[in-house]
Amino acid sequence: MAVFQAALLNEIEKLYRKKKVLVAILLSLAVIVIGQLVIVGVRSGFGLRGTGSVEFPMLVLSVVVNTILPLFTALVTIDSFSGEFSQNSMRITLTRPISRFKIYTAKITSIVLFILGALLLLLVFSMLAGFIFNANSASFDSLGRTVFSYLVSILPMTVLALGIVLLANIFRSGIAVFFISILIFLAFKVLGLLFSQYSSLFLTTQLDWYNLFLVNSFPLAKIARQFLIMLGSGIMLFSAGFYIFDKKEF
Amino acid sequence: MEKVIEIINLTKTYGNGRGIYDLNLDIYKGDIFGFLGPNGAGKTTAMKIMTGLIRPENGDVKIMGHSVIEEYEKAMAKVGCLIEIAESYQFLSAFENLKQIARYYPDVDNKRIDEVLELTGMYKFKHEKTKKFSLGMKQRLGLAAAVLSRPKVVILDEPLNGLDVEGMIDIRKMIQSLAEKEQTTFFISSHLIHDVELTCNRIGVIYNGRILNVENTDAILKNYATLENYFVSEVERNGRVSSSASK
Repeated sequence: MAVFQAALLNEIEKLYRKKKVLVAILLSLAVIVIGQLVIVGVRSGFGLRGTGSVEFPMLVLSVVVNTILPLFTALVTIDSFSGEFSQNSMRITLTRPISRFKIYTAKITSIVLFILGALLLLLVFSMLAGFIFNANSASFDSLGRTVFSYLVSILPMTVLALGIVLLANIFRSGIAVFFISILIFLAFKVLGLLFSQYSSLFLTTQLDWYNLFLVNSFPLAKIARQFLIMLGSGIMLFSAGFYIFDKKEF
Repeated sequence: MEKVIEIINLTKTYGNGRGIYDLNLDIYKGDIFGFLGPNGAGKTTAMKIMTGLIRPENGDVKIMGHSVIEEYEKAMAKVGCLIEIAESYQFLSAFENLKQIARYYPDVDNKRIDEVLELTGMYKFKHEKTKKFSLGMKQRLGLAAAVLSRPKVVILDEPLNGLDVEGMIDIRKMIQSLAEKEQTTFFISSHLIHDVELTCNRIGVIYNGRILNVENTDAILKNYATLENYFVSEVERNGRVSSSASK
């Protein structure tokens, strides 16, 4: 376990020392600022209400889970795998007394922590912006639901990251992985719209699954089904990615 | 004598027909073993299998009695290595690069990192990012990383790549002093045959993926004027045998 902790610490250090993470943070904040400015503009210009203090974080979440968050997850994942494959720096870790399974798991754990960090950052700043600009209509119940919605979004984002990890292990070039990931993402989005009865099978539709928790009736069966689909696909993607990673020659 | 590395029936072939075939080799404690062979003979392939970077089709490598295939963590616990070009994370400093490695070994602290930086003459570049390092500096850092954990076995593939004369002498002294004082076993491949002659006490020659001969350096130098003469005669003899056999 000590070597796993060492590997995880190393992965986190590599992650925050790269400029990509800083760019991700700045862009996330930009989304909040721009979003808030648009809402303030709409309110003062057209006399419309826009959003309330708790609604604003939900609006931000609905936008970021389908846009910048998958994008940053892809960038960080590709950097962690394809980046190290192409620069041969993977050998630095591989020749240490640590199994490939632990290295693979540590890399994925660091990506999940990155997603969690990004979600929490967005939550805190969007709530702050919401309270500053629209200090009305806040209640503890809706606040709790907002926090919960952000937290449960980590699950579909993790499955997405695992999918990209698999692609990064199949294709050698990081750019190829990036474009194939985007194409698959868009294809799944379109297929989800065309065949809406099967939409829960397409992983991209699950990015919005936090909405299920906002419904008053609380559709437990549907939540359980979605959860199990994500869990199943996550385990399959993790195993397939590891199978290739373990066989890889460096 | 205590066997430190055992290479048993090791086979790995590539699509282009190159590779290693049925390699058997024993390395003993305190040996500075020189692994010689022409380009493409299979030196790096053997060393990559020894350090778990690739898997063999057949056979096994045991380091301190542990199989690198079955018990990788145990086998690598006392091993330091440098395979091909010394890699580093370019966005981290020399110290931070070594710190990354140090985390895998509980008894390596910051003092030890400073010690190996001093040993390889890299202390003055401690806080510089490796992005701007020359090939020689990267190689020195790679060697510092290889000996960081006070390993019992050190596997070095072309350790003198890119080093200046001073660097070569420093590294040779470092290898000899570690072998003498701490009984560290070295497995070194190099094209610089003169340096191998000066550094190593046992020599193995690999040609076309097969071991031709393993001999003590002293015994070789009794029969041949230089190691180069021995190497050329071994390779030529084998080349003639294989070319006449194919006729």
